[in-house]
Amino acid sequence: MPTYKDMVQPVRATENDMKKIHIDPTPDDQKCDKALQYLDEMRKKFRSFVTAMESCVKCGACAENCHTYLGTKDPNNIPTNRAELIRKIYKRYFTLEGRWFGKLVGAEDISLDVIEQWYSYFYQCSECRRCARSCPFGIDTCEVTFVGRQILHWLGIVPKLHASVGAAMEKVGNHTNLPKPGLVDTLEFLADDILEEFGVEMTFPVDKPNSDILYIPSSADFLLNEYTLKGAGLFFSYIGANWTIPSIVAEAGNFGYLFDQRFTQRHNVMRLLDAAQNLGVKKIVWGECGHGWRAAKMYIPTMADRPVPWPITHIHDEVAYYINTNQLKLDPTKNSKPVTLHDPCNYARACDLQENLRTVMKASVVDFREMTPNKDWTFCCGGGSGILFDDPEMYQRRIQLSAKKAELVRATGVGADGNGILCAPCSICKAQLYPMVEEHKLGVEVKGLIDLVGKALVWK
Amino acid sequence: MSYFIMQIMPYITLVVFTFGVLFRLGRWAGSRIVHNITLAPFPQRNSQVLGIFAAEAIFFRSLFSSDRTLWVGAWLMHIALFSVIGGHIVGIYTLGEEFIYLGLSSDLSKEMSALLGVTFGILMLAALVYLLIRRFTITKVKAVTGPSDYLMLILLLAIVTIGDIMRVFEHQFGIDYAPVKDFVAHLIMLKPLPLDHLALTTPFFVLHIFFVQILLMLFPFSKLMHVFGMFANRWIINRVYKEPAPGLPNVDIAAARQAGIGVPSGEGGV
Repeated sequence: MPTYKDMVQPVRATENDMKKIHIDPTPDDQKCDKALQYLDEMRKKFRSFVTAMESCVKCGACAENCHTYLGTKDPNNIPTNRAELIRKIYKRYFTLEGRWFGKLVGAEDISLDVIEQWYSYFYQCSECRRCARSCPFGIDTCEVTFVGRQILHWLGIVPKLHASVGAAMEKVGNHTNLPKPGLVDTLEFLADDILEEFGVEMTFPVDKPNSDILYIPSSADFLLNEYTLKGAGLFFSYIGANWTIPSIVAEAGNFGYLFDQRFTQRHNVMRLLDAAQNLGVKKIVWGECGHGWRAAKMYIPTMADRPVPWPITHIHDEVAYYINTNQLKLDPTKNSKPVTLHDPCNYARACDLQENLRTVMKASVVDFREMTPNKDWTFCCGGGSGILFDDPEMYQRRIQLSAKKAELVRATGVGADGNGILCAPCSICKAQLYPMVEEHKLGVEVKGLIDLVGKALVWK
Repeated sequence: MSYFIMQIMPYITLVVFTFGVLFRLGRWAGSRIVHNITLAPFPQRNSQVLGIFAAEAIFFRSLFSSDRTLWVGAWLMHIALFSVIGGHIVGIYTLGEEFIYLGLSSDLSKEMSALLGVTFGILMLAALVYLLIRRFTITKVKAVTGPSDYLMLILLLAIVTIGDIMRVFEHQFGIDYAPVKDFVAHLIMLKPLPLDHLALTTPFFVLHIFFVQILLMLFPFSKLMHVFGMFANRWIINRVYKEPAPGLPNVDIAAARQAGIGVPSGEGGV
């Protein structure tokens, strides 16, 4: 049952699922002691966590800047209160004021109920960092959610979705469990499609030795976002690149970053470095995936256990560069429908990609309408950090979590005639928004950004 | 009692405050910045980082965008607080004659000093009341407020109210600069004051000092650490980031287009 004492909770991984990601779940009677031990370890390591614990003044500015609170009106979904779920334990065991004045400062003894609260509320947080942007002190509640999820993982409490994705990564090298023959088949099929639809003759090279460029697509692009993969293929063919997709890491995402920032995340990074070394590439280019791009751009330098000689950039960094230097011929009239851009939270607040997205967008479409707020003040799609649970209770939650975004999309007016495009250049955003634009009846189609580029390229 | 508050307690306060803050900051410093979590847009130079720090510290820039109604109260409160603290330091040191350095006469300077003290004192009181009402009335704020949050505001209100009473009803309850300067000087020189000294016998002054000392002793063990926390947090999330250069290896688009890559031979593309 995915609820616990009136709290919604995602379906959790079984003991067997957890063993596949190398964790033996902690028995209930040891959970509290272990949780404290892990919390002690984390607080001694992460300064971003300690300062979040010790410098919040509870002003409440974060409340209405969080789409989760706006959508659910649950006081525990106010960022500072979400952090308080751990802070009350932190105070009780690791501060003088909590030990001496307990209730007065809101300290509380740890219990299984508290651990269940963590599971419920840390998996309603999108880790989108809008609270960090709005906090007068820059307290990053995302760091608290990270710590909470890491402790839960070590205790053996992980959503089934996240655990199975982590296991798939280790087994086959991508999140969707596609083995190499599946990848190659899909790509051949897409190449045929491209010839038919765009009249362009090209192939998607897989594991091609001595390539110059390693392209890392999101594995969801093979199944759900075919035009994103086609767009990237068209772009690389157009510029005449010597590129390839590695089958051992056909995955731009990194779910380890979302629940286990140790082994699971590092494993994915090491796969990437192995692939880059074996294929002899000179540069790594990332596909459309928000959390994955943050995990790659910002975390690989501190995650890799060996030197990383290859520069890593995002495909939109490259497309924007070639647009700015007038080397791409694009015909925006090929994308004539009204388009608005959803800034993926990880691009706009964690990776500084927002301006390049606009360069690419403006060169590729005729009718681009900005959403407000946008860029570093963007609201999350409601699926951030992979909370794309599809059991009925959590699915209802997802509708609530996307309500703010729906309101903003509606305000742009792109869907007024039912033929708008909501450009969301991130796999998790796409997976969240495909059903949500229907639930909220927005009259828009969800597309990636490289999809639009692929369509607008002028070949002759 | 007043002898304890004025002559012994200050040294206890000093020790608790100093070692408390050092203990807390030491704990922060002991943990590390593990991953790069800088917040976009990324500053390109340290001068830009400094600009962010300044805009946040002086104008509460993020708060201005995220919660305007809170910004009004919070900003006024802090500006008034810093003015009042500054006024205390220069006013007591120069005996209210700080403005003679701006060309005012001695009497006018004292008037000015008193006027500014009253103004910022009242302003701070009003801002604190505003913040307290906010905690009681706005649902979301109520939901994040705990007992210690109310108590902290009430303690500040007590200090400010007493200070304002001493300013407004100077002749009945107030105290001159001179005995206060005397009091501070004696504390610093570790010299006790005579028991009948004005600083020890003015009830409102003793009460004012008492509450201030309580506040300072609570400081390291409370949310007042946000004064340091703000800079500690921004040190982590606002820092220079250099992007790798764009441009792909061995790519020559002009040549590729010249060669007609992707365009099937004998027929036209789109």
